[in-house]
Amino acid sequence: MAEVEETLKRIQGQKGVQGIIIVNAEGIPIKTTLDNSSTVQYAGLIHQLVMKARTTVRDIDPQNDLTFLRVRSKKNEIMIAPDKDYFLIVIQNPSD
Amino acid sequence: MFTDESLDALGVESLWRKSQQFAQESRGCQTRPVHTAEAEIQPLLNADNGTQTDPQDHLIYQLPPKGELRPESPGLRDFLHRVEDMVLKELASNAKSHAFDGFDVNWEDQNETVSCIHCLQHPSAQEKGLQVTSISWSCTGSVIACAFGRVDDGDWSTEKSCVCTWNLDRRGLNPKRPDMIIDVARPVMSLSFHPSQPSLIAGGLYSGEVVVWDTNRTQDLILAQTGMSTDTHREPVYQVAWVPGPRRGEMVVLSAGSGGRVLLWTVDSDEGRLVLSAGFALIRQQVPHNSALSKNRGSSNVGVTSLALSPWDLDTFLVGSESGLVLKCSFSAQTLAAAPPDGESVTLRAPAQFSFSPRGGPVHSLHCSPFHRNLFVSVGTDGLAHLHSLLQPDPLLSLRVSDSYVFGVRWSPTRPLLFAAATGQGLVQIFDLGRKSLRPAATLDQLTGGQPVYCLEFNPRRKDLLAVGNADGSVNIWHLSTELTEQGPRETAKLEQLANEVAE
Repeated sequence: MAEVEETLKRIQGQKGVQGIIIVNAEGIPIKTTLDNSSTVQYAGLIHQLVMKARTTVRDIDPQNDLTFLRVRSKKNEIMIAPDKDYFLIVIQNPSD
Repeated sequence: MFTDESLDALGVESLWRKSQQFAQESRGCQTRPVHTAEAEIQPLLNADNGTQTDPQDHLIYQLPPKGELRPESPGLRDFLHRVEDMVLKELASNAKSHAFDGFDVNWEDQNETVSCIHCLQHPSAQEKGLQVTSISWSCTGSVIACAFGRVDDGDWSTEKSCVCTWNLDRRGLNPKRPDMIIDVARPVMSLSFHPSQPSLIAGGLYSGEVVVWDTNRTQDLILAQTGMSTDTHREPVYQVAWVPGPRRGEMVVLSAGSGGRVLLWTVDSDEGRLVLSAGFALIRQQVPHNSALSKNRGSSNVGVTSLALSPWDLDTFLVGSESGLVLKCSFSAQTLAAAPPDGESVTLRAPAQFSFSPRGGPVHSLHCSPFHRNLFVSVGTDGLAHLHSLLQPDPLLSLRVSDSYVFGVRWSPTRPLLFAAATGQGLVQIFDLGRKSLRPAATLDQLTGGQPVYCLEFNPRRKDLLAVGNADGSVNIWHLSTELTEQGPRETAKLEQLANEVAE
């Protein structure tokens, strides 16, 4: 759909963005700008991580909930925006 | 007198008028009686159906654009609406943020020093004065094999030598006693472990033979050998390597010797023979034109002293010769070699495609960078390390490694900008191309009293181990510091930059 593509293009145009993946609630990637094998790897691993992060936040305070997750590593940063039905994963290299 | 009389009428037939009545025949026919039958049907159920297309602007879903196979997911648009602003804001502020500048995390114990953890020796080989000519790590990274022979002997040598292996992960490792000693009748000049089967070792001998040993066997360890036939090299084999064969999963042995031949052998373990499957001959006249060469006299064969396979392109290999030539060759070259046939079973081909600028002496070692497809480094007897790009003949960078010969060079498997070179003065110099200065980042003294270092290899599994083989018959295993093994943040980009520089 044109709107979805446009939004993804806007995100991709930000400085240092290396890739975008949209994953559905079951952990299956539905849109991606990376190659197949990387996408599958990211989708599977990050889905588990987000679930773990969410239960951690809610165990500490049941009224609270996860809104955003950022994983910073030596080479890049992975930003995850979670939702009921989808996750948006953006991989950015801020020093690029 | 007059009486009434009736006379018969007189008739005259017409001669030209005929009777108009023609002959008439009557026929009649009738078909046989026609059979008829009657039947009736009646449906029990009735159904009514109708279709109608919607006018264009009532359609909610449109066909996905070319390339998308999956149907559009409901709610995706709304989800992106919700998160888009937040994500864009975060991305923008992250790109500008200095919050993590200079922030480093220590996950593992930082090793600040470089230390020699093992000094492996084989006393009986050392007594005979044999030198370590080649070392190789097994694919698992735990076994190191070293070949003994002589490099400085100009004469035909019939000395017995051996190949020793040590398993570094075994408890009770005795550096003075190898785990396995394979006796060989001739000096072994080169060694290579099989890339996926940890028990197979291929070796090239001084006599030109190529042997494959299987360390799993208890009795005769030789799995296959070439023997002395018309196919084998006539000169010492300076390099052996395993390359993928024509069938999937099969590996063939590549051997290169100073007779100018590069041969590919398939392992026939039933017969115990190595069968020649393809061969290349390097003839001086067939080398791509380089004016400096045509003045040389002497044998027309280009003796191979070093060989490097490209991990990026399975078809390319690089050859370094005795006269200082560095050639880019291809496995799929079709031109026939101009060598007189010598009874070989396959026709030899000329593989050279491109010639780099020649060096001043034999090229002892070449290695292709595992991080950039176009870069390789070459060293020779002129004491310099040249960093070349495959795309141009002149080197990108020239580093002075030592004042004497340089015998070996290897790129680090973990840091794109690091390589190590083995010198004839007994030192291993490690260069970091990311540094501004051209002096070595580290120098490892082999403590051999100035005797040369002939070969070095990084461990493919454990990234902090470096094995170095010396002329005094010992192999030193060095544990490198974290600075030399941990990849920095922008190394691949810097390497890319280096590779793209064009030499004047």
